[in-house]
Amino acid sequence: MNIKTLLKLELKNRMSGNSSKGNSWWKAIFYIIFAAVAVYAIYAVGKLFFEMFAKANIAYEALVILYTVFFLFMTFIGTSSTIKVLYYKGDNEILMRYPVSGDEVFISKTLFLIITQVALTIIIIVPFLFAYGEVVYGKITNIYSMNIDFYNIIPASVFFLIVIPFLLSNILAIPIMHVTNRIRNKFALIIIGLAICVTLMFAAYMLLFDKMVTFMNDKEFSVFDESLVQIIVEVAQYLIPTKYFADILIGHELYIAYPVLVGMSGILLAGTIVVIIKLYPKTLLNNVEVEGSAFRRVTKNRRRPIFMTLLHKEFLQVFRSVNYSFQYFVLACAMPVMVYFCNNITMQLGANQIGEQIALGMTMLVMLIFATVITSFSATSTSREGDNFYHTKVAPVSIRKQLFVKFFMYLIVSVLANGICTGVLIFTKQVEILVGLWLFAVVEAISIGLTLTSMRFDIKRPYFNLSGEGEVVNNNASTTLSVAMGFLVAIVEGVLCMFLSYLAADNFVIPGTDPEFVITQELMYIVCTAFAAIFMIGSILNYSFRLTKTYNKIAK
Amino acid sequence: MLEISHLYKKYMNSERFSVEDLNLSLKPGEIFGFLGQNGAGKSTTIKCLTGIYPYTSGSITICGYDIAKDPINAKLNMGYVPDNHSVYEKLTGREYVNYTADLYKVSKRDRNERFEKYVNQFKLTKAVDSQIKSYSHGMKQKICIIAALIHNPKLWVLDEPMMGLDHQSMVEILKRMDEHCADGNTVFFSSHNLDLVSKICDRVAIIKDGRLQCVIDLHVKGNKEALETTFCQITATEQDIINEQNTLRRNIIIND
Repeated sequence: MNIKTLLKLELKNRMSGNSSKGNSWWKAIFYIIFAAVAVYAIYAVGKLFFEMFAKANIAYEALVILYTVFFLFMTFIGTSSTIKVLYYKGDNEILMRYPVSGDEVFISKTLFLIITQVALTIIIIVPFLFAYGEVVYGKITNIYSMNIDFYNIIPASVFFLIVIPFLLSNILAIPIMHVTNRIRNKFALIIIGLAICVTLMFAAYMLLFDKMVTFMNDKEFSVFDESLVQIIVEVAQYLIPTKYFADILIGHELYIAYPVLVGMSGILLAGTIVVIIKLYPKTLLNNVEVEGSAFRRVTKNRRRPIFMTLLHKEFLQVFRSVNYSFQYFVLACAMPVMVYFCNNITMQLGANQIGEQIALGMTMLVMLIFATVITSFSATSTSREGDNFYHTKVAPVSIRKQLFVKFFMYLIVSVLANGICTGVLIFTKQVEILVGLWLFAVVEAISIGLTLTSMRFDIKRPYFNLSGEGEVVNNNASTTLSVAMGFLVAIVEGVLCMFLSYLAADNFVIPGTDPEFVITQELMYIVCTAFAAIFMIGSILNYSFRLTKTYNKIAK
Repeated sequence: MLEISHLYKKYMNSERFSVEDLNLSLKPGEIFGFLGQNGAGKSTTIKCLTGIYPYTSGSITICGYDIAKDPINAKLNMGYVPDNHSVYEKLTGREYVNYTADLYKVSKRDRNERFEKYVNQFKLTKAVDSQIKSYSHGMKQKICIIAALIHNPKLWVLDEPMMGLDHQSMVEILKRMDEHCADGNTVFFSSHNLDLVSKICDRVAIIKDGRLQCVIDLHVKGNKEALETTFCQITATEQDIINEQNTLRRNIIIND
């Protein structure tokens, strides 16, 4: 009975279950619709993915690669969830005060982890497998051509794909947690490492996406050359054990595949039981979370000007948090690479579909979308203060100055990110130098506007809902609002640039004007600059209007 | 030092005043205790005078500076220790105190001198260069106190400073309060500990339902001893009085 209650509590916590009964129904319907749309989208992408590989006769290898990527993904997700749910303090401390046994807490939390793994695996991998079946064996609706065995074996394959990463995650969680705690305070190292990982993952994703776009444009030819096909075939052979997931599905070397998978499951299960019995209670009691994450740093007393001391404190607050650093610095570091790849593909797509004229607008749109993601961090600038919010009120420094320091830090990051992005675009000849400088000015003006608007959203309605580590638990409504606004502004500005450039290319004359009003490229520059300037000035005015009074109203 | 005049505070969406027509005047060199039951309005008053909450009407001046009209100068003369010991936990103790010292424009010489003095006094020498998140409850309270005193404020405000502290830490804080006042400064603190208040305070104020009930000079003979009785009489609710009468009646019946 306790297990059921604890599991319900865990599920409610994850799905922010403080909504009313009516709301819960709507939420459930929304989740179902969302899942259905996601499944269909994955199926469509999967079909394209396998068609592309099938053209080069390497559909099986594609299946092995897919299983490998998903296996790594699930092991990663499983390990991080296990660490969060089972070992980190948080609600463990609260639950331990209730009349429930440690076993019940453990089982309920494990069940929650399994439910998450099952849901993720079914939603992501099953549509891919159906797509594979359709590409390789023909239409599902055509009963005569379809391979019944293939579809019948999908549950077995999925079962192993849930069980093996889940058990592996349980074994890996404790050592990884200790390693994480050891390197946790090497903040610069973490940021650089994460930035490299994110950039590489994104680059790999965009390269695959680029191939798919190329394939979409012309499905008659394979996008892989002979040598690449050879490498893929060679690599796929050695992707053990994930190769065996694919093998049982297509009935290849079953006498090896099944024993290996069953044997692995057994060994990992035994390992998990040993870890749980021997190490789980010990790890909980050792309180590794706090002990391992605090550090010692001997410094001298140093006097700084007020502006610098506020900036230093603000920087350390973000820099010394892996979550915040990832949300902010890492994404800002990875932004130039993301913009380069996205711009490359969108330009290719857009130019093919509409024409060269829209390339600049596409670049602008891509840059603004990434700028929105980066600047949305400022939508938690007040909320992040949490219990320390009183400091901002007690300090003998004006609120405007304190907020300006926060803005200044965001400005430095956005100028660097946008500047490097522009540099990359100029260097790779995606835009010309002068155009690049103009692009930078426009994007930076909008970034400033977005930062100030996001900060103002948060001042109007801060959410001081922090975790044990003193960090914002979930992105608040202000973040959602600022991202939505950023996307809207990006679309308006991007479309304006594209549309006016397109008309300017034909020297379009506005009908009924006397003398004739011709749309020129200069007009496009003027309109886009004016839009950015108006947005920035409007944001500054909106931000400044009764700022101190609104801030003082916040009662934490 | 601190003048509170006709202070009214009403929270948003609340129908009643949390603080109503409160008047207080604190002199230099005194330790002033602020007493009241939970929800009486002590913390609200303190949050108004420190600038954390805006207030509905009235005035608060610190060393002659109005907290609403000239907040910067008023705050420069005040040090505040909150009731929840909240500090920037990602900083080390030294970084946090230096951050506060910078905001209060403390010279390097003064800060070095005071920092060493307080860190030794509160026995934080070993921990001061560790991240605050590794500190215990009491250590966090102590680093808050050091940060509040680093600029040697004329008015030191503490909101329930002894909550959750061990005996030794309490003695250290009381000693520091005494020394601070001996230099001509003022200490204003809220507490539930009547025994402690009666021992160290020069004067106390009792607040009930947001209204100031009385200010008691503890140097007047008999006031110190009678503080607990006075406090209970003032803060007793109607139900408390009925309960007491019932107990008395029952005792009489039993004796008869």
